[in-house]
Amino acid sequence: MIKLENVTKTYKRGANDQVIALNDVSIEVIKGEFVFVVGPSGSGKSTFMKILTREQMADEGDVWVAGKNLASMRRWKVPVLRREIGYVFQDFKLLSNKTVYENVAFALEVIGSNRRQIDKRVPEVLELVGLTEKQGAYPHELSGGQQQRVSVARAFVNNPRILLCDEPTGNLDPSTSVGIMKLLDRINRTGATVVMATHDQHIVDSMRRRVIELDDGYVVRDQTRGVYGYGG
Amino acid sequence: MRWLYILHEAFIGLRRNLMMTFAVILSVTVSLTLLGASLLLNEQVELATDDWVGRVEVSIFLCDDRTCPAVTPEQQEELREDLQDHEVVDEVFYESKQEAYDRFTELFADQPSLVESIDPDTLPASFRVSLVNPNLFNVIRDQFAAYPGVDEVVDQREVLNQFLRFTNVVRNAALTVAAIQLIAAGVLIANTIRVAAFARREQTSVMRLVGASNWYIRLPFVLEGVIAGVIGALVSWGLLYGTVPRVADSLAQDIELMPFIGASQVVSVGPWLLLAGGGIAAISSILALRRFLDV
Ligand SMILES: Nc1ncnc2c1ncn2[C@@H]1O[C@H](COP(=O)(O)OP(=O)(O)O)[C@@H](O)[C@H]1O
Ligand SMILES: [Mg+2]
Repeated sequence: MIKLENVTKTYKRGANDQVIALNDVSIEVIKGEFVFVVGPSGSGKSTFMKILTREQMADEGDVWVAGKNLASMRRWKVPVLRREIGYVFQDFKLLSNKTVYENVAFALEVIGSNRRQIDKRVPEVLELVGLTEKQGAYPHELSGGQQQRVSVARAFVNNPRILLCDEPTGNLDPSTSVGIMKLLDRINRTGATVVMATHDQHIVDSMRRRVIELDDGYVVRDQTRGVYGYGG
Repeated sequence: MRWLYILHEAFIGLRRNLMMTFAVILSVTVSLTLLGASLLLNEQVELATDDWVGRVEVSIFLCDDRTCPAVTPEQQEELREDLQDHEVVDEVFYESKQEAYDRFTELFADQPSLVESIDPDTLPASFRVSLVNPNLFNVIRDQFAAYPGVDEVVDQREVLNQFLRFTNVVRNAALTVAAIQLIAAGVLIANTIRVAAFARREQTSVMRLVGASNWYIRLPFVLEGVIAGVIGALVSWGLLYGTVPRVADSLAQDIELMPFIGASQVVSVGPWLLLAGGGIAAISSILALRRFLDV
């Protein structure tokens, strides 16, 4: 489902300074897996995710996502790739002038779904994330946890094969985070591949899923049924 | 659904920044009115030239004692015969002093002081000659200028040429100003669209994220520019339609020698204005978005 081979990504900083965000990274994630990507801030987690959506391009190495080679992908095909991927951010990125329902429906509207499909699918996914009651509310009327549920609903509404979550619990308190994790777990059980970047130790330790640890752009650990630190 | 969304977004953009929209429309209107006016001037010149060149005449003015000893009936008759027999001459008309005066008073009917300043004897009689080939004027002048009783041989085409030189200068000046204005309008549109895209960057970033296609993201902005451009074109079309036929009508009353353009020419210039207005708006919007909204 996702495969990186010897991927290196460097960012330019000014004229002659640069940061190596990913260094010779090789990872394979198979269909239906749930993977944590952990590591301190600046270790390259977000860069790893952005390379999967082709928001950034690898300088070296090969990247395959959903059977497609991203290096040779034409620019106009990138939107098609992104329809196979749901993306959840730490800061939700909801549109403040749209209701919960509209925010979720928007993701379908702009890829050309028709009204009938939208009216069928949006209530389903709002039910899945437990926000049926709140569908008419605006983002500012919701708690952080509820906003993140909307964001997950939007990411998942067109049934993507892959869900990428970049520190989805970073702005949430622990008990709310547990709710989000249950939701992601449920989505994973429907067959979607979930990749989640985090540095929340409790969550990683409690889930006992595969853990890939990055440090300074290097993969320093790749462990099935892992925990956050070596000590655990 | 898609088109509804795109149109809806475009109108939201236009409404959100009414001042900018107004400025864009105004600037497109000004530039396209100038453009349209110079196109119409061109039409007018072509219309007039076709007509004039078709019946171009050489005027051979006859002496009447003012400038030279008055022409005698015999000289006049000889002149007419020689003209009619000449191989480069097509037709010959005689215009008497009275006819010249009548034509003049009619031509300047609304300038009574000018008409009063002359009497039926002031204007010279003339032969008006059309040529087989207008370029052979020199042949006529060389041969007839020295005839007894002939005051002056005038190439009316030279008069026409002076008129054409003048209208060409006016038209080129108008075209230049129109082009500069159009570029200014394009820059204004580009800037407006960039502001609009910036104002909606959250929305467009979400669209990119969920896989909306590039044109789906851009089209509302491009359309926003094009709608403003087309409105500007329509306004300028209306302005021209409201003014040009009237001006031409009142000129036609004064200048009877020339055919004038009318409403139909103004109508037919409209599609070009729409094309120019919509085109410049589309191009500047697309250029403005090139970097901004790339995947
Ligand atoms: N767009 C960018 N331009 C320049 N440097 C960047 C950019 N994005 C990330 N970086 C740098 O790359 C490194 C990895 O960043 P990131 O992938 O965001 O790590 P993480 O998500 O683990 O915090 C950091 O040093 C960061 O400063
Ligand atoms: Mg990050």
